[in-house]
Amino acid sequence: MVRIEPIRSMYHLDVLTPGELEAIQSATLDIMERVGVRFPSERALGVFADFGASVDWTSQVVRLSPEMVRQAMAQAPRMFTLSGRVDDTDLVLDGCQSYFGTDGCGTLTVDLETGRQRPSNKEDVATMARVADHLSSIAFYWPMVSAQDYGKVGPLHEIDASFNNVVKHVQTETVMGEGPARYAVRMAEAIAGSREMLRAKPPLSALICTIAPLGHDKEGLEAAMVYAEAGVPVGFMAMPTMGSTAPAAPGGALVIGNAEAVSAMVLMQLLAPGAPVFQSLLVSGMDPHTADYLVSLPQKYLCNAAAVQMAHDWGVPSLAGSFGLDAAAPATWQLGRDSVYTALLCALAGTDITIGLGMLGASTLLVPEQILFDDEIYHTHRILAQGLDASDEGLALDVIASVGPGGHFLSQKHTRRHLRDVWIPSLTQPRPGTDGRKQPDIRQRARAEFDKILAEHQPEPLEPAVQAELQAILSAAERELAS
Amino acid sequence: MSQEILARLAQSVVDGEPEDAEELAQQALDQGLDPLACINQGLSPGIDRVGELFASGEYFLPDLIIGGDAMKAALAILEPALTGGESRKVVGRVVLGTVEGDLHEIGKTLVGTMLTANGFQVFDIGVDKPASEFVAAVKENGATLVGASALLTTTMLHQQEVVEALKEAGIRDSVKVMVGGAPITDSWAQQIGADGYAEDAISAVALAKNLVGATH
Repeated sequence: MVRIEPIRSMYHLDVLTPGELEAIQSATLDIMERVGVRFPSERALGVFADFGASVDWTSQVVRLSPEMVRQAMAQAPRMFTLSGRVDDTDLVLDGCQSYFGTDGCGTLTVDLETGRQRPSNKEDVATMARVADHLSSIAFYWPMVSAQDYGKVGPLHEIDASFNNVVKHVQTETVMGEGPARYAVRMAEAIAGSREMLRAKPPLSALICTIAPLGHDKEGLEAAMVYAEAGVPVGFMAMPTMGSTAPAAPGGALVIGNAEAVSAMVLMQLLAPGAPVFQSLLVSGMDPHTADYLVSLPQKYLCNAAAVQMAHDWGVPSLAGSFGLDAAAPATWQLGRDSVYTALLCALAGTDITIGLGMLGASTLLVPEQILFDDEIYHTHRILAQGLDASDEGLALDVIASVGPGGHFLSQKHTRRHLRDVWIPSLTQPRPGTDGRKQPDIRQRARAEFDKILAEHQPEPLEPAVQAELQAILSAAERELAS
Repeated sequence: MSQEILARLAQSVVDGEPEDAEELAQQALDQGLDPLACINQGLSPGIDRVGELFASGEYFLPDLIIGGDAMKAALAILEPALTGGESRKVVGRVVLGTVEGDLHEIGKTLVGTMLTANGFQVFDIGVDKPASEFVAAVKENGATLVGASALLTTTMLHQQEVVEALKEAGIRDSVKVMVGGAPITDSWAQQIGADGYAEDAISAVALAKNLVGATH
């Protein structure tokens, strides 16, 4: 039995005032019209040209009028559903709850046997999918690491390992290029049952990264166009880095990222009006001395929340970024400090979907048991956001009266009903009164829990015929793409 | 029919429904069922199941206590109906109480519930009880184990009085004494001449079984 517990926040946080939001959106429209965005794809440039956008075929820069942007974005649906492959695993992106998923896509794994870092592989994707299937914090699965043992077709093997080991919605962030994307769509069709079902209940969505500043990737764009035409929801993630690929100011970084993501969503709407799209802006910082990529910054958290507001202003769902922090080891003060803000701020801002539990080293390093630390923080944030119950049942007036002064509540049926709602962190120990007892180190406890899930949780398998179909698609992809 | 009512009795304990348990016990007697069979084949399997569910983490303390309440409610009907010489099989008889000057009830109640769930017959004398009442309860019920609870540094001294009173009454050798409560430690138990200390209700069961085994 798979359970998903999204965050339903009682509170709403707008970090931008209406005036600030308007200023950012206007600046974005101005940049798209005056400076333009680079689309290094003949096909994409052709679509823009057909619709009368200003296309410079030499520089591959497209300039879009505010009217064209607004008209195109008006076609994009605000609400749609990302489906899981079994009942009760659908993600309804209607603004009423925030769903969280795993992080990706790293290249290094701390090996479960040796404890040493090594290049990631397909088995890691499968292992983490099984654990993600079990955790109620995880509503959708990003293949967490790269299937480097399968070379060029690795991204398709990541999808295969995911569908075989998690019943929840899968989102790929690595399948790039028209050819690979067509195979990914075929795999999603195999899961959904048909082309029509894929559109109605897509078990797969895709995320494409833009190239800051103000550019796109040819392979990413061409994959995105395949997805949009097939009805596979596709999102665009801009990752402007303050100081290097964006101005060293959060506002300017948001404008850059916004122009990249919105211009791509416009392309999708011109190509396939009404195609489900979503926006993601992950602002980061540059280390001023080494130029290292930094994500554990308060400005980044603020931008995360602002980006949700901006996506909703465009009328599309938002994908936010949480966790995936800079620290490289679990259970450190640094990680604790940074984790405090991530999921909570995103949820308060009203994000629709959010990555990314389970990764360290700025989303490059998989330490398997880290997902359990993030799971615990996620649930802490989920409870924080849900507010208090002041209903009759919540106030328990009759129960208080019947126990009276000096009694206790342990033998009350009300207690039995509600004690389960009092969420108790499971990793965090010692609790008061237990500090005299010897407890294993918190990393050992997390690892023990991880091993237990792996040993006991069996995700609902795919039908053998579907497994075989995925294999056949992978074989065909290997023949075509690996050569 | 009798099998069905025994199963329902067990289920009333598992579900923690004292009212149902009481009603079912009365129905069973009205239908002429053997009260001992009702206890051994109805209530006992029920409370065993509660213990299992608690041990596996599925049940919480309130489930355990309410399950114990259901068992007690049914026993209150069934035990008086036992005919001469008949009695239910118990692991041991325990007198439990909170010492004089101390009104804390929950810890002692939890221990009582856990012991009941594990087959002990528990005589809970309540809170704020002088040492003499512990002694009287031991004599009256033929108990071989005493549990004295104290939650305050000011009242823990009275635990020693319980040990002393049992000595004075000449029954210290036939009774084991276990102590517990927030300020209590192993070394305190040793210092006052008690036989054991447990830091929570779960370990109290293991301790009690150990001590009873030692007594017999």
